[in-house]
Amino acid sequence: MALDRDRLMLVLDRAHSGPVCETFKWDTEIIPQTIAKNLLKYDLRGTCDPDNPVNQDDDLADRFFRAGMDTAVEVGMLCLDTQRRITFSREEIEQAMQAAPSEFSLGEGDQKVLFKHRGFEDPTPPIWICPLSIAVSEELFVPILEGIARVPEVDCIEGPSFEAIWGSKIRAGSPYEILAGRRQADLTYEALRRAGREGMGLYAVGTAPTHYGVLGGYGIPGGYKPERDIVLLLSPVEMKTSYESLHKLAQVYNCGGITYGGSWSMIGGYAGGPEGSTVSCIACTLLLYTAYQASNGASFPYDLHDMGNCGREAQWALGTVFQALSRNTHICANSVLNQTAGPATKMLLYESAVGMMNLTVSGVSSCTGTRTAGGKYTDYITPLEVKFAGEVFKKTAGMSREEANDIANKLIPLYEDQLGSAPSGKSFADCYDVETLEPTDEWRRIYDEVKDEVIRAGIPLG
Amino acid sequence: MSRQELLNQLREALLGDMDRDEVAAIAEKIVAEGIDVQEGVQTASSAIREIGQQFETGEVFLPDLMIAGKKMERCMAVFKPHLEVDSDTAAGGRIVIGSVTGDIHDIGKNLVATMLSVGGFDVVDLGVGVPAMEFVKAAKKEQADIIALSSLMTTTLPYQREVLDLLREMDLRDKYFVVVGGGPVTPDFAIDIGADGWAENAALAVNLCTTLMTSGHSPPVETIVV
Repeated sequence: MALDRDRLMLVLDRAHSGPVCETFKWDTEIIPQTIAKNLLKYDLRGTCDPDNPVNQDDDLADRFFRAGMDTAVEVGMLCLDTQRRITFSREEIEQAMQAAPSEFSLGEGDQKVLFKHRGFEDPTPPIWICPLSIAVSEELFVPILEGIARVPEVDCIEGPSFEAIWGSKIRAGSPYEILAGRRQADLTYEALRRAGREGMGLYAVGTAPTHYGVLGGYGIPGGYKPERDIVLLLSPVEMKTSYESLHKLAQVYNCGGITYGGSWSMIGGYAGGPEGSTVSCIACTLLLYTAYQASNGASFPYDLHDMGNCGREAQWALGTVFQALSRNTHICANSVLNQTAGPATKMLLYESAVGMMNLTVSGVSSCTGTRTAGGKYTDYITPLEVKFAGEVFKKTAGMSREEANDIANKLIPLYEDQLGSAPSGKSFADCYDVETLEPTDEWRRIYDEVKDEVIRAGIPLG
Repeated sequence: MSRQELLNQLREALLGDMDRDEVAAIAEKIVAEGIDVQEGVQTASSAIREIGQQFETGEVFLPDLMIAGKKMERCMAVFKPHLEVDSDTAAGGRIVIGSVTGDIHDIGKNLVATMLSVGGFDVVDLGVGVPAMEFVKAAKKEQADIIALSSLMTTTLPYQREVLDLLREMDLRDKYFVVVGGGPVTPDFAIDIGADGWAENAALAVNLCTTLMTSGHSPPVETIVV
């Protein structure tokens, strides 16, 4: 579905004519005060229930949605470059959500996959997009991605991102990034060819912190293909946009492609606690789909204190956000799970089991990950945790939220005391054979042990 | 109003809903009444530390901390002309901070800037997407003691290195301590680029900068990791 020109121009025009607002006022007054007001209005304060990390209260999810909608209407988005607010009426947001697709496809040939809106506890398996734009070294990009593409549970590719191009460090916003956009497409196709999955749908462009990577790699000969791939538009917290995202939006329009709108909200940050973060994520998602005409994406919460979203409060917020969106829209919502532990650790797999299960039963259409070791270390990602997370993600489709909550309460105690000081684990080269793309015996043993544990806890991986 | 009542009012103003102008007015009254300004500074510092602790325990959130930091700045602007040069507060030092080129993410930088301000440092926030040369120019203009660099994305890390390279090439490396942080910034990276320090989080960044300022050493120093 091509982007609507009138809405694109409306967004650009409002970015240059909307009410002036400085970032400090936005961060310290507009966002926190509006969210606090709507938490009060819908009686949502203190509703986070860490003892029940998978929300099962439909009315609560619906009230959060209404608070999110009110917030979206009242604040709009802040354009950082113009310091102006891009505001939308309730009718405009509702029309945009109505116009958003309830299904769409990525990829081609036998690798084409159909994204569908999912209800909570929906038996339809969600789509698994891997491995997120975690940094890898240039020489390991192809082997790591080939190994990931060989995982049958993986449906589409986003990332990884590489640190250097032909030996030179990539600098955001520089000509290196233009080159990296195209280079990433080349290396991705090479990895997919080796894995026998050339037609997989791609999220463009992992190695693109600014618009330059997209301009250099999307819609050009040999690059990412508008007819089968999707462009990432990621917005800074809370509910901000910038020329970087708007440049990408304009380029997608020019190329006749589709967009992914993504953002996040930090628990403890501008939006406040878990309830405020939940409202912020819902509001932001509505704005991303309105401003960017997104086909996929959403805003998701994570915790400022442990920089992940696998703790109890973050899991509660994560599930509630996507239940609210699932029940009140028909969009193909996507989340990112932020694990904090690294490869070859049990904790990483426990975090993945809880988070992926919660997302599946809460109605996401798709998820991108794994964000192994919080995405902090170069080359700290392997195909095995991607496989494990994908298995849980798909096999828990149809599970009840009550059952998921019981399982989460068995697994979270296995790692929650390590949140904030999670083990970084081992790099790809230290727990994989780079030639055969097989995990070391140690990493395989950890995987098998945790798989047995989560099966005993009730996740049907057998 | 008695001395103690005025100091209590200052504390309440910093902890409560009063705005920056009201905080400044109370600080001015403290000066006008001839109360030892050092007492005012200690009262304000104590209140701000309390907010910092409340943030650490999740009782207040980032906007509360940022507003408190701005109120503290106004308060100190009133007190500073009346402080002895060698007072404890002046020992904090001046820091220019920003997210480097290509990085428009501000939440981590804002948190660190606020914690540093709360911790008694004079913080000059350059914002986001700041080019390497702008850090250097700002450090010279502000007569900074420390340059603090933030990155959220791997592809902006080279710009942290560029600031250090510029300082070396301009023979300014011995003028400023350089500390680095942000999501993808590891201790190894900090050591590799020759930064003076790296901290795990915002609270530890205050410890790091305090250590650098009180170490008695001039930059550069062997990378301190906290």
